[in-house]
Amino acid sequence: MLKVDKLVKKFGGMTALDGVSLTLPDRSILGVLGMNGSGKTTMLNCINGLYDATAGEITLDGVSLIGKAPHAVFSEGVGRTFQVPRIFPQMSLLENLSVALLNKGMSNAEIAEISAYWLQKVELYRLRHNYAEELSGGQQKLLELARIMVANPKLVLLDEPFAGVNPSLALLLINIIREMPKELGCSVLLVSHDLTSVYELSDNILVMHEGRVLAEGDAEAIQKNPDVIEAYLGA
Amino acid sequence: MPMSAPQGNTEKSSHIKFLIWGIVVAAIVAVFLPAPLFASNLSFLFYMMLWITMATSFNFVAGLAGYMPFGYVAFYGIGAYATGVLYKTFGLPIPVALAGAALAGVTIGLLVAPTLRLKGVYFGIVSLALAMAMKLVISLMPSDITGGSLGLILSAANDPVAAYYAMFVVLMGALAAGTWLTMSRLGTALRAIRDDSEAAEVVGVNVVGTRLKAWIMATMFPALVGGVEAWYTNAIDLDSSFNLLVTAKSIVYAMAGGLGFLVGPIIGASTLYGIDQLIWRHFPTLNLLILGVVIIALMLLLPRGIVGAFAQRFSRFRRFIP
Repeated sequence: MLKVDKLVKKFGGMTALDGVSLTLPDRSILGVLGMNGSGKTTMLNCINGLYDATAGEITLDGVSLIGKAPHAVFSEGVGRTFQVPRIFPQMSLLENLSVALLNKGMSNAEIAEISAYWLQKVELYRLRHNYAEELSGGQQKLLELARIMVANPKLVLLDEPFAGVNPSLALLLINIIREMPKELGCSVLLVSHDLTSVYELSDNILVMHEGRVLAEGDAEAIQKNPDVIEAYLGA
Repeated sequence: MPMSAPQGNTEKSSHIKFLIWGIVVAAIVAVFLPAPLFASNLSFLFYMMLWITMATSFNFVAGLAGYMPFGYVAFYGIGAYATGVLYKTFGLPIPVALAGAALAGVTIGLLVAPTLRLKGVYFGIVSLALAMAMKLVISLMPSDITGGSLGLILSAANDPVAAYYAMFVVLMGALAAGTWLTMSRLGTALRAIRDDSEAAEVVGVNVVGTRLKAWIMATMFPALVGGVEAWYTNAIDLDSSFNLLVTAKSIVYAMAGGLGFLVGPIIGASTLYGIDQLIWRHFPTLNLLILGVVIIALMLLLPRGIVGAFAQRFSRFRRFIP
C-alpha cells in the first residue's frame, strides 16, 4: 500500500505541492487528474526519488521512500514512466529491458526470457534487436512500460501514458494497465489527461489543483463534483 | 508466465560476439607481439598501440559512460611525470615507477570524482581545467624533482624493445578492461547511463557507483601510456606531456571508429593513425591540414564512426559486433 501524507514540495518561493495526501491500496488503480502545473508530475517525482520532498512522508508497505535515491526506490518495487518516453535510444529493445533486471540476481537466460515475454506482450518482439530510437513515439511508450514491468514492481507510476499514442497502441496500453492490479499484482498511479481512460480504468480518482487535492472519489462522484467541474472539467 | 524460448538466440549472439572479439584480439597479438623480431619501423607499431590504448580507454568514459573529458591528457601527463620522477629522482626501477604512474592517475581521478555529477560540457570544462592545473602544479614544483623547464631525461633506462613490450602489456590490459566493461552487466548499465542517466537511475542503476568504476579504468590506462611513452622516448617535458593534441587524437580516433563498441577505437585508431603517418610521409608540411580534412569528412559522412555506421546500416548484425 502506498501512503502519501501531507507531501510538500517547494522550488524556491514556489510551492508545487502543498500538503498532498493519498492512499493507494494494493492491487488497485488511482487515477490522477489535474490541469497542467497542478503538481501531478512533481508528486510522481517525489515518490520515485527524483525530487527530495520538502516535507511530508511517503511509504510503500510501511517502508519510507523519503530521502532514497531513485535506484533505491526502484529496488523497493516502484517503477515509473515519463510523459515523454525516456528509453535508451542507442541500445536494442532487449537491452533496454535488461537494464531493469541487472540487479535482480537473475541469470542471463532468465533476463532474456522475461524480456522476451514482455516484448511479446507489447508487440515489439520482432524489433527486439533494433535500436530503441528507431521506434515510433507510441512504441517507445510501450517499451518504457515493458521496461518497468519486467522487474515485477509493486507500484507503477504512469505519467501521461496515452499522450501521443495512436488509438491501436492506446488500446494495447489500456489492456495492459487493466491487467496490472489483478493479473500482475501491482498498484497503479495513473496520471493522465485522457478522461475516458482514467474513468474506465481507475478504482478511485484524485483531482489536483494548484498543488493540492481538490477532490477524491470514484468516477461518478468526480464527474458530479462541483469544485472539479468548475476548476477542471468545465461546464 | 507464458514464455517463448528466445534465450537460445540471445546466448548464440553473445557467443558469436565473443568469438569475433577473440579473433580481433588474436589478430592484434599476432601483429604486435612478434613485431620487434621483424619490423624495421618499431616506432610506428609502438605509437599505433599507444593510440589504440588511448582511444580504447577514452571509450570507457565517453562511449560507455557518456562523458567527454576534454582534459584527458591530464592523466597521460601525470603518468609520464610520475614515471620520470619515481625513476630519476627516487631511483625506483621502471616497473615500479610505472605502477606508481597508474596509482597516480587513479588517485587524481578519484580526487576529481565528485565532478562526475556534472553533465555534458561542464564536466568537459572541469577536466580541461584539471589538465591545465596539473601542468601548472608540476611547473611550480622544485626543478630538482621534475627537471624544471628542461624536463627529465631517462637515458639510463633506454630499452626501446622492453618499452615496446610494456606498451603491448598495457594495450592488452586496456582490451581486457574493455571486455569486462562492455560485455558484463556493468557495461549494460554504463550504456544506459550514457543514453539517459536519469532514466537509468529510475530503473535501478546506481549511476554514481557505476560511473566511478568506468572512470577509474579510464584514468589508469592513460597514466600507464604516458609512463611507457616516457620510457620509450627517454624524455619528459611539460609541453609534450600535457599537449592537448593527445586528448584531441584520443577523441577523434575513438569517434572515428565508433564510440560504445569495443572494436571502434581499434579500427579508428589504426585507420586514422595509419592515414596520419602516410600523409606525414608524403606531405610533411601539409600533414595536419590534410588530416583535418579527412577527419571532418569522416565526421560528416559517418557521425557514428565506421563501426557505428555499419551497425546502423546492417542492424540485424548489430548484436554480433563487439
